[in-house]
Amino acid sequence: MLAWLAAAAAPLVIHLLNRRRYREVPWAAMHFLMAAMRKNQRRIRVEHWLLLLVRTAIVVAVVLAVAEPLLERTGLIARSGLPTHKLLVVDASYSMAFKPTDRSRFDRAKQLAEQIVDESSQGDAFTLVLLADPPQVIVGTPSFAPADFINEIANLKLTHGGGDLAATLSRVDEILASARREHPRLVQEQVFFLSDLGRTSWAPELAVGPLEDFRERSRRLGENAAITVIDLGQPTAENLAIEQLRIDESLVTAGQTASLSAEVRNFGRQPRARQAVELIVDGRRSGEQVVDVAPGGRVSIALTHRFDTPGDHVVELKLSADSLEVDNRRYLALPVKEQIRVLCVDGRPVGGRFKSSTDFLTVALAPRNGEGLAARLKTEVVSESALLDTDLTQFDCVFLCDVAQFTEREAKILRSYLNWGGGLVFFLGEQVVADSYNRQLGPQTGPDRHILPATLGQIMEEPHYGLDPLGYRHPLIAEFRDQEQAGLLTTPVSKYFRLQIPEKSQAQVAVALENGAPFIVEEPIGRGRAILIATSADASWTAMPMWPSYLPIVQELLAYAIRGQLQDRNVFVGQPLGSLLPPGTQGDIEIQLPGGEIKRNSAGQAGADRSWSFTDTTTSGIFRAQTAVQGSAVPLLESFAVNVNTVESDLTQVTEEELSRDVWPGVRYFHRTNWANDQDTVDAEIVARSHLHLWLLWSAMALLLVESFLNWFTGRHAI
Amino acid sequence: MDEQQKYLDPQTLARLQGLELRARSIVEGYVAGMHRSPYHGFSVEFAEHREYVPGDDLRHVDWKVFGKTDKVYLKQYEEETNLVCYLLLDTSESMRYQSEGTPLSKLEYAQCAAAALAYMTLEQQDSVGLVTFDQEIRALLRPSGNPSHWKQILRLMEDSRPERKTATGPIFHDLAERLKKRGIVAIFSDLFDDVPEMLAGLKHFRHRRHEVVLFHVLDPAELDFPFEQTTLFEGMEQLPEVLSDPRSLRKAYLDEFNAFVKQVQSGCRDQRIDYVQLRTDQSLGLALASYLSLRMTRTN
Repeated sequence: MLAWLAAAAAPLVIHLLNRRRYREVPWAAMHFLMAAMRKNQRRIRVEHWLLLLVRTAIVVAVVLAVAEPLLERTGLIARSGLPTHKLLVVDASYSMAFKPTDRSRFDRAKQLAEQIVDESSQGDAFTLVLLADPPQVIVGTPSFAPADFINEIANLKLTHGGGDLAATLSRVDEILASARREHPRLVQEQVFFLSDLGRTSWAPELAVGPLEDFRERSRRLGENAAITVIDLGQPTAENLAIEQLRIDESLVTAGQTASLSAEVRNFGRQPRARQAVELIVDGRRSGEQVVDVAPGGRVSIALTHRFDTPGDHVVELKLSADSLEVDNRRYLALPVKEQIRVLCVDGRPVGGRFKSSTDFLTVALAPRNGEGLAARLKTEVVSESALLDTDLTQFDCVFLCDVAQFTEREAKILRSYLNWGGGLVFFLGEQVVADSYNRQLGPQTGPDRHILPATLGQIMEEPHYGLDPLGYRHPLIAEFRDQEQAGLLTTPVSKYFRLQIPEKSQAQVAVALENGAPFIVEEPIGRGRAILIATSADASWTAMPMWPSYLPIVQELLAYAIRGQLQDRNVFVGQPLGSLLPPGTQGDIEIQLPGGEIKRNSAGQAGADRSWSFTDTTTSGIFRAQTAVQGSAVPLLESFAVNVNTVESDLTQVTEEELSRDVWPGVRYFHRTNWANDQDTVDAEIVARSHLHLWLLWSAMALLLVESFLNWFTGRHAI
Repeated sequence: MDEQQKYLDPQTLARLQGLELRARSIVEGYVAGMHRSPYHGFSVEFAEHREYVPGDDLRHVDWKVFGKTDKVYLKQYEEETNLVCYLLLDTSESMRYQSEGTPLSKLEYAQCAAAALAYMTLEQQDSVGLVTFDQEIRALLRPSGNPSHWKQILRLMEDSRPERKTATGPIFHDLAERLKKRGIVAIFSDLFDDVPEMLAGLKHFRHRRHEVVLFHVLDPAELDFPFEQTTLFEGMEQLPEVLSDPRSLRKAYLDEFNAFVKQVQSGCRDQRIDYVQLRTDQSLGLALASYLSLRMTRTN
């Protein structure tokens, strides 16, 4: 647009061209003309230059008026005291909890936000957005009450999540557009980003389409408003964080010594030696380790703890303090069971040893002298006709072996069980009516009803003498890596169902046959998991029960099927909490947040079950949910652990160069590392939008009048 | 084109019908025409007697009166003279100027005016002569009242070539010495020359007892300076060219030009010279008639 300033040369060019285009006349009275020129040469020259200057100024004024947005971005022109809509975006990702001094970056951001408000003029209006994931609009409509607004700033709370810049920008856009409609007198707009410019927030990895949208939105924002980015980060911030805390067992039973593993990572450039990592279980110190972590390195920690009592337990791993404490703690909510109860549904109960479909299975689930998981199991076998009369929620996992078919009601019960968090493992066999399975349980019943991760196809009668572990990628089969002696790879299978996994399904193939046909397929459904094995649990279709791999496969199937119960209790910041309430619970759910605050949620209906969900998980820590049980003085208690996603623990900043080149190419903004108390400095960065435009146009009109007058004055006739 | 027709417009002549060019002051000439010399000398026609005083020339004694009255009286005679009109025509290059829309150049207009006066003078049986000049006297036709003189005047005017610079002052001085017989000197010029020198020349004419009428011939463009767009003014009489925006110079030029005219007028006034400004877009007949009427009124 400013290229049109070249048009300012037009009057000069026209003047020069006019001097080349002239009429020629012979003139007799030359003496008088020359005398006139001599006497008025200087005046004529001054008048000509003045006229040229005025004409050039007209062009410049018009061009600048049209190219107003560019002028606004230069910050060269002081504001004229016009009402400004100031939108403050405060980065609330947890990296802002970093304390370079005695104050955190977030505290500093709040202080600067208050300062911006204090330094504003009467008539200015303010809105407030938190750069978070998802972004939070704190004050969405322009507030003309600075004192109230400052209160809102003071009450801002840091989240323990990351920052979604693209989504935040979208909200900023909406707020500005709404303010333009509702408050047209706010003729100027200014957007302040108070952030540490953390790379994870400011350099989002977006797909091509969303990236283009983001850039276009940013560019438009830069044209309509004066953007100021106040960089509160430190280029050499050091940080140590606990990245993981997990229990090695799928479920823990009372009396069991559980193995815990964790990782500590050094995101800084300096080595960190002798860092103490403390294990705290249920509020009591249980153990400690001291680690050394190299710059950019990770260290694994292994700990153990014996859980003596069943019930909900809370495990916390705590790292010695550094400048960012949010990621120095990791939590684990652990339901400890009395026992792991397994139900086996026998579809072919036949007398005689190892004749029924579940005989081999029950042995594998509870081997004599069993250790580990097997030692904590209690297995129960029922016939398929008893399925409807059995409270499945009393069991952690249900194995269904060679069950012929399912009624609609049975299917509902099984789906409800999965939603609750139970594990279902299907073994097939001769009795299986594929059509019934597909019709009642198959994927085609829909995402809210299906139970099986795959459709049953035709029965294949072809011998296979090995299984394909598919690279041991699936957790179910991972333990078999480098364990060839277990015989998994040589397991003979003579008969199996062809399984077909629908497209866009979440189902995964854990193990395949040699010919690539799916053998073990699993899918997380509801809060639980469903696992489908293409062959029988007994020796009727496969020699697997006699193979050394059978026992560990069954144990792994069980462990994998029941791990959903644990995962539900442990989420990341921003993910919802919730559960299905068992029958007998009543009333609202009370949720205690990590800071002690209590919130209430009402239970909803998930089919025939009561359920609840809680989404305000912006802070990491232990959340405790309590609900009353009918006829009991003891409420149902559940603990949940909300942990930070340690991606945000990497405090690397986006540099100023990267900001202008990669994040906001072509966007006009001011980058500052500090904020002055000087009003003039603040004012100098705000430029009148439409009024500058008007001033320039008025100036152009005035200059036109001046030009007309000068034109007449220099060309006036003799009096 | 017939020369007479070229220089004498019927309308002009019609305007001048009934008007005469008369001398206001004493002129000399030989007896003829309409003008009576106030000099009482001893010439052809007896006018009156006067008493003899000792010392008078006895040749003029009227002896018949002495015989009758025994008193000595002298005869007084009236001389009949004709008016001599000298037409001085500026044929310098500047007189060639003719602005757009103007029917005649200054020279052509001056020639017409001179022709009209010549015609009038000859019609009233007075004598008229013509001098064309620029920086030198180019042609000099001695005054004559012969009707055939008219054609010579016209021919002389036709042969004028306005190509040179002006030098009115020295020319006027020269002519003042050369024009022996007193008469009316009618000057047709734009006077684009050194004014003091020019006025000094005119003064010389007055010193030689000539009656001077200054016909200041000017083009309307010179008087009004109507130019608007950038113009390259090409100087005449070897003056340089000037490229300028006329609008910015208009006032200053007009100030200069008007000051020049005022200076000429003032100089003429001081020397009792009639100043007549002739615009070349004006009706010549009207202009001359106006002047001659006024002159006749003043003379009577």
